[in-house]
Amino acid sequence: MKSAEGRGRTLDEAVDAALIELGESRRNVDVRVISEGPEETVVEVTVIDQTAAEAGTAAPPNGKADVARTLVEGLLKHMGVRAQVTVRTGTDPMTLDISGRDLGALIGWRGETLRALQSVTNVMLGRHLAEGERVIVDVERYRQRREHTVREIALRAARQVKMTGDAITLDAMQAFERRAIHLALQDDPDVGSSSIGEEPDRRVVVGPRKPADS
Amino acid sequence: MPGRAATERIRKAIALVNEVADGAGDEELTPTEIAEAIRDCLELREIEQGSNVRKYLGEALDAVSDGMPADFVAMTLYAALGALGESRPEI
Repeated sequence: MKSAEGRGRTLDEAVDAALIELGESRRNVDVRVISEGPEETVVEVTVIDQTAAEAGTAAPPNGKADVARTLVEGLLKHMGVRAQVTVRTGTDPMTLDISGRDLGALIGWRGETLRALQSVTNVMLGRHLAEGERVIVDVERYRQRREHTVREIALRAARQVKMTGDAITLDAMQAFERRAIHLALQDDPDVGSSSIGEEPDRRVVVGPRKPADS
Repeated sequence: MPGRAATERIRKAIALVNEVADGAGDEELTPTEIAEAIRDCLELREIEQGSNVRKYLGEALDAVSDGMPADFVAMTLYAALGALGESRPEI
C-alpha cells in the first residue's frame, strides 16, 4: 500500500503535505499520527487499498458475503437506487460498500437513512450470521470518513487539553463516533475521554487523565 | 397531528438502541431503559390511537420485551419514524 510521511506545524498541515506527495484526496487515505509537538506534527498517510475494495466481488468465494451483497443489491433495486455494492475485503466486521452517483438521499439526515438500511440488512441477514456478528453498511465511505473526521477532532482536542489543562466537551455524536474517539485516545497517557448526557445529546468530554485512570 | 416532540422522542429511542448495537462502550444500557424511552413516545397524545406510528412503537416495545436483537428493534423504530413523516406534510 502506498504511504507517505507528512510534516507540518499542525495536524492539518502535516496531512496536507503527505496528500500532496501522494496525489490523493482525504477520503482515500488513513492517517496515523507519528509524533506531535508544539512546533511540529508528523503523520503517516496511507492510501486505502481501493483496488482491493473495488475488487470485492472478486475476493475469495465467501458465501456469507455474497448473500449480503445480493441482499443489499435487491433492497436498492426495490428502492429505485442505481448503485454498485461491493464487499470491503479484510475488514472485521464485514463491510458492504455502496457506491454510485447522487447517493446523498441514501445517507440521509446525519446518516439516519444509511443507519436504517444497515439495521434492515442485519435483520434480514440474521440467520446467516453468527450470534453477535453484524454487518456494516457504508455509502461512498461516509461512515469511514466520519470516523476519520472525529478521530481528527479527538486528536485536536487532546492537543488543546495538553496545552491548557482544561477539559473540552465535544458536540453531540452518535455511538459509533464516540467509540472512534475513545479508541483514538485510549493509549494517550495524558488525556482521556468519557461520555456525558443522554441520547441523542450524549457528548464526549476530553480531559486530562487522572493518575488513577492510567 | 404528530409534531417535533414525537420525532425527537423516537430519535432518542433509536439512538439508545443503536448505542447497544454499536457497542459504544461508554454506557451500560438495559432493556428497561430502552423500553422506557419507547413508552415515553407512546405517552404522547399527539400520536393518534390506531395510527401506524403507534402500531410500530408497540411492536418495538414487544420486541424489546421479547429480547429481540437491537437491529430488529431499531428497524421497527425507523418504521415508526417513517410513518410519522408520512402522517404530516413536512418534517
